[in-house]
Amino acid sequence: MVKLYNVSSSPHVRDKLSTGNVMLDVIIALMPATIMGMIHFGLPALIVVCASVASAVLTEFLFNLITKRKQTVGDFSAVVTGLLLALTLPAELPVYIPILGSAFAIFFVKCVFGGLGKNFMNPALTGRCFLLISFGAAMTRYSVDSVTMATPLANMVSGQEVTWSMLLDMYIGRGSGCIGNSVGALLIGAAYLWMTSGLTMEVPVAVIASFTAFVAIFGEEMTFMTLLAHILGGGIIIGAFFFATDPVTNPTTTKGRIIFGCLVGILSGIFRVYGTAPDSVSYAVVTSNLFVPFIDRYVITKPYGYRKKYMNRIANGGVKVKGDTVPKGTVVLGVITLVAGLALAGSYQLTKNTIELRKAEEAAASYKEVCPQADRFRKDSKLDAKLDAVKDAVYGTDFGKSYIREAWVAVDASGKDCGYVICVASNDAFDGSMAFSVGFGNDGTVSGISFTELHDTAGMGLLCGEPKFKDQFVGVKTDAYVLDKTGELKDANAIDTVTGASISSGAVVNAVNAALDFLSKSKGE
Amino acid sequence: MSRMTFKGGTHPNDQKQFARDNAFVHYLPKGEMVFPINQHIGKSANPIVKKGDAVLAGQVIAEADGFVSSNIISSCSGTVKEVELRQTAAGTMAMSIVIDNDGKYNQVDGIGKETDYSKLSGSEIISKVKAAGIVGLGGAGFPTHVKLSPKNPAGIHHILANGAECEPFITCDDRLMREYSDDIVKGMEILLTLFPTAEGDIVIEKNKPEAIEAMKKACAASPMSDKIKVYPVKTKYPQGGERSIISVVTGNHYKSTQLPADAGCIVDNVSTIRAIYRAVAFNEPLMEKGFTISGDCLKQPTNFFTRIGVSYQELFDECGGCAEGKEAAKLISGGPMMGMAMANLEVPVQKAHNALTVLGVDEVASVPTTACLRCGRCNAACPLGLIPQYMADAAVRKDLARYENDLYGLECIACGSCTYVCPAKRPLVQYFKTAKAEILLERKKQQEAK
Repeated sequence: MVKLYNVSSSPHVRDKLSTGNVMLDVIIALMPATIMGMIHFGLPALIVVCASVASAVLTEFLFNLITKRKQTVGDFSAVVTGLLLALTLPAELPVYIPILGSAFAIFFVKCVFGGLGKNFMNPALTGRCFLLISFGAAMTRYSVDSVTMATPLANMVSGQEVTWSMLLDMYIGRGSGCIGNSVGALLIGAAYLWMTSGLTMEVPVAVIASFTAFVAIFGEEMTFMTLLAHILGGGIIIGAFFFATDPVTNPTTTKGRIIFGCLVGILSGIFRVYGTAPDSVSYAVVTSNLFVPFIDRYVITKPYGYRKKYMNRIANGGVKVKGDTVPKGTVVLGVITLVAGLALAGSYQLTKNTIELRKAEEAAASYKEVCPQADRFRKDSKLDAKLDAVKDAVYGTDFGKSYIREAWVAVDASGKDCGYVICVASNDAFDGSMAFSVGFGNDGTVSGISFTELHDTAGMGLLCGEPKFKDQFVGVKTDAYVLDKTGELKDANAIDTVTGASISSGAVVNAVNAALDFLSKSKGE
Repeated sequence: MSRMTFKGGTHPNDQKQFARDNAFVHYLPKGEMVFPINQHIGKSANPIVKKGDAVLAGQVIAEADGFVSSNIISSCSGTVKEVELRQTAAGTMAMSIVIDNDGKYNQVDGIGKETDYSKLSGSEIISKVKAAGIVGLGGAGFPTHVKLSPKNPAGIHHILANGAECEPFITCDDRLMREYSDDIVKGMEILLTLFPTAEGDIVIEKNKPEAIEAMKKACAASPMSDKIKVYPVKTKYPQGGERSIISVVTGNHYKSTQLPADAGCIVDNVSTIRAIYRAVAFNEPLMEKGFTISGDCLKQPTNFFTRIGVSYQELFDECGGCAEGKEAAKLISGGPMMGMAMANLEVPVQKAHNALTVLGVDEVASVPTTACLRCGRCNAACPLGLIPQYMADAAVRKDLARYENDLYGLECIACGSCTYVCPAKRPLVQYFKTAKAEILLERKKQQEAK
């Protein structure tokens, strides 16, 4: 009997690239960000990463074992999911949170839908959304070396001016945030993936471009710097390069991917500008994932021979038709971009003054509320000089993390100075930040307090904005207020805490004291 | 600026190093010769010899049946042993004329006599090509005289000599261009006299610098040197595909229902062009051609210049078989990208066959298939702009309407680029071939029902 050789359909050779290699490349690409996270956040970051990866791999292993499926942990895809999830978590988390998150991601999102390639949402991000909903407070309390700090983006939203050094911090990942917050390291990883051709650029470019355009047009008071901060912060970069590009939950055609990328970018923009969710990108990506089957079904590009340009040529005997060399799509896109850019620039110029005017009016209205005796407010060169010296850093040493933001002199109807308005902010609130203005009479007694910002745990910290609490400050002549935690102090300068919100109450007292201190020092000189 | 390459495609290791520097070995077969009566696209030829007949080399043993068909020529002398079903490289059984080779190679009178072809008319040239049984030697086997008779001869503006040879391992066209460059240029001159409005481009991948040099030299010496030029292109698979080569030189793309002539082109393999020259200038029917035996486990990879009809086994034995200590795992007629795997070597070399590739490892069997990651590499690799990822999905789900109408699945040329790049190692081409066969079968059924 003649030996019979294997017969199969062509081709008979295959590229070296395998599913395992693809996943390994993603892991390598995530290494710079992981390492930066560990350097910055230390041991807690390492624990979160290890817990998350181990939980992901173990869940898949056990699922396959129990359901008697082929073991698939060897393709590293569970490692990728665990690592990606870990990079989106704060470092100082109870260890059960990443473990639960990864297990959820692998079991509910991946395994039960049929394993690798069958999940309809990105597992890691869905795991993150699950954790955000389940452990909201812990998931949004970002701390470095056990000190809770607002993220740079949160600081910006609460009014802090964006500086180049802040942007640099965001780029390197020095601020507070999730473990994988080093934009620079993420970009190095993305460049690696791109060069090893594991990543095409349609989706990231579409996400970032559409997000930027959306925020630039619809965001409030956008400047170049705040726009940059929006792009560098809040996970847009990791989302665009590592989550939105997850091939399984991506359309597979270039055209489909551009549509998908724009969807992610615009949804992120909507959630960022109008939403209250701390995390715009996660929700944007998982929502967009749901549209992928529709895109797959209906966005179909024709083969070259059926495209109009080439059909025209063939009809012309295979000779170039005049003007068909310029790709129409490029021209159309170029024109749209140009028109949109011009419109944006134009509307910005037109509305710039109005915005500033309105801002000033709003401010004046709130100042009058705290300084009822005043008619208008003026800047004072002496006060401004003092303000410039202190406004970028935490004020003093005795007032927690209080900031002095603005200082005005109140002028009454007859033109005489009749008091001051000091705008302060504090990062010490129980959950987030607060900002308010304090009005003073000429003698330094508080004439009113008005909150311009109070993000806090609903129901508790928000009570600090109630008159019952605020009005305790009014009309008391003192050098410093004291927080009365027991309710037993009878002095005029004692302030009763809001029940259940002592941290936020303390923050208010500290900030008011900071304003008092600033005012007395300024007047003293 | 001329284009360097086409859209899509992939970069398999070209593996030319095994055989590229081995000059043609001229080999006259000794064993029995087998000539299937259908070695071309179109109707099978009608056998005109019967068992026991004596035949000479160069004798027509089966006549073309109609216009889109081709003569079958005996490449040896001897007696007809059988006219029966024999196994072919494609794995099918085909009616074949089996000749007991007497080893003398006595030829029909008149072969090799030089004629002054410059006096021949266009139709005389085409009838000579038809009589010589010439078909596309690059692999497709489309009858060349049909190709040379387009509806609108004045609309042909490019004659493309296909010397891309993009399949890994195969080097016989490379050798042909190096050793018979003048013949190829003369063949091109004949084609250009048929189509005076056209220019000639000899398209060669850049991994064959010696061939490019040799062809450039031959072009420079030609009286038509102003109309014939060498067109070096980027080394990328499937550059040698008819559509890829037309896309590179002219920028045209066309549908599968259209022909290169619709794009103003005629594409012929360099070995076909040489065969045209030999047929027109020397009355020589198509009897011999270059044939590479290469692979990663052979003792001596060889470029044969041998007779059509010889068995693969005889050539394999002649070149020494596998290297010591190595064993063949897969035998492929053609290259590894589009070639056909064979269960054994007892099959004849046909007109359009150009190589035997012997692989020491069967990669298809040895790498496991995993689930589709939807990474889209297949889409990027398709030289036709198809969407293999969606096509595979539709084919597996048997959604043949979507496969055919929405995804243009019948356009697929089975070049294998998508399958080569797939990290999940899915047999995409196999899905597509199956889907295509099912659709065509269904069509046939419906037509018969009418």
